[in-house]
Amino acid sequence: MANEALPDDFYMLMEDLQAIDFVLVELNLYLDTHPDDIEAVKQFNTFAQQSQTLRRTIEEKYGPLMGAGKSYSTFPWAWADPPWPWQV
Amino acid sequence: MNFTNRKTYTPFIGRYDPCQPLPVRAYETPPQLYLGFQPPGLEQFAPKEALKRGTLWPALFSPYTNPYEQP
Repeated sequence: MANEALPDDFYMLMEDLQAIDFVLVELNLYLDTHPDDIEAVKQFNTFAQQSQTLRRTIEEKYGPLMGAGKSYSTFPWAWADPPWPWQV
Repeated sequence: MNFTNRKTYTPFIGRYDPCQPLPVRAYETPPQLYLGFQPPGLEQFAPKEALKRGTLWPALFSPYTNPYEQP
């Protein structure tokens, strides 16, 4: 990917992902003190699934979100391409 | 008086205070102080709303407005 501007779609997807991951953090903290709340565990797993699906969608379109083997790379090596996280 | 998370106190005002004194000071207390152990199944915000407000549960949301602002 070259230095062209990112489409609005990218920012919408990233915002969705950020919101889903925030819900996961909140549920994670809640479940630490309420391990027997089955509804919350179900909700946590649903959101974890959504997060992974959305990550895959974003990575297929815009390149890897994480390094060191936590995301797949296209060929040639995609991790070194801009935009980097602090540039978006 | 209605219950509120915003509490006030009145500090001592020295006679040589170089600044305009604030006779009543306000401070915020967090909602979890009054909740006890969080009950399961509380009402939740939608994910984006939660992200914006910084909590998933309306019961734990604490708004902040300037207490010293003159209306």
